[in-house]
Amino acid sequence: METYDLLAMRENYNRQRIMLCFNGPISRSLIEEIGNALRNYLTAEQAQPSAAMDVFAVYIEMTQNIRHYATRMNYAESDAAATVAISRDEQGRYVVAAGNLVEREDGRQLVEWVESLAPLDKAQLKAAYKEQLRKPRSGESASGAGLGLLDIARKSSVPLLASLSEQAEGRAFFSLRAVI
Amino acid sequence: MTELNINGTQSTPAIQGDWLAGVLAMQGDSYPENSFELFGQVIDWVERFLHEATRPLALELRLLYLNTSSIKALMDILDLLEEAHRKGQPVSVNWHYDSRNERVAELAEEFREDCSFPFAILPYSE
Repeated sequence: METYDLLAMRENYNRQRIMLCFNGPISRSLIEEIGNALRNYLTAEQAQPSAAMDVFAVYIEMTQNIRHYATRMNYAESDAAATVAISRDEQGRYVVAAGNLVEREDGRQLVEWVESLAPLDKAQLKAAYKEQLRKPRSGESASGAGLGLLDIARKSSVPLLASLSEQAEGRAFFSLRAVI
Repeated sequence: MTELNINGTQSTPAIQGDWLAGVLAMQGDSYPENSFELFGQVIDWVERFLHEATRPLALELRLLYLNTSSIKALMDILDLLEEAHRKGQPVSVNWHYDSRNERVAELAEEFREDCSFPFAILPYSE
């Protein structure tokens, strides 16, 4: 049996300044519990209330998007998993990243869509957000993630970074990163 | 039943609808996964009030963080108020927020942009 090198994991997390991370099947209550831990951590770190709220909001939108997608695709529990990491970069800014398995084509569309947001300034993002807010629920994008992603993009101080790694059985691992 | 009384949880706001007084109050965070399980009944209550009652309806909000699903639901409620206002029924919103958290004021401001009825954003300090 392979033994986990917990120390190597820990050193890896520390090196990347990861303060909180999670990997595995994610439930509604788990999202709330990790959210609590995150809020406590931010309070302990004496983050500005507005920054703490933005980090929490981005975390919630990312993880709920993952849950909605898994539900809509009727994924089995083990496939409804998420990998989430919250860290600080060299400049002390909070970084929220989350990834999940998606159908390859959905993943491609998502990456394209996220990339199309990069050149937009704050006012353009707000306009796109308000437009999406007014769309009927059935009219959301294929990913169903439109409004949440726009909200995340608005809270991020740099353009969102999305990437896709192809996996077996027509799937891909989609990951998204926001900097607050 | 014309009263609405929903207890709050960590991820859902406490909600009270006082039919006689014409006041709908909501306090707390709102980030349920499916906001319509919660807000569906609130939207029904507001629709019914605006349809059956002719007296003013006031929203007293102390909402903090709202996920996008809750924002959409609240927008639906404010759209109902806007429609009633255009028909001449008095409606209003008072959104109270902790002065230390400007994000809440910004959130309220974005809602106010789409409303033409009286909408006050009121800071308080603890």
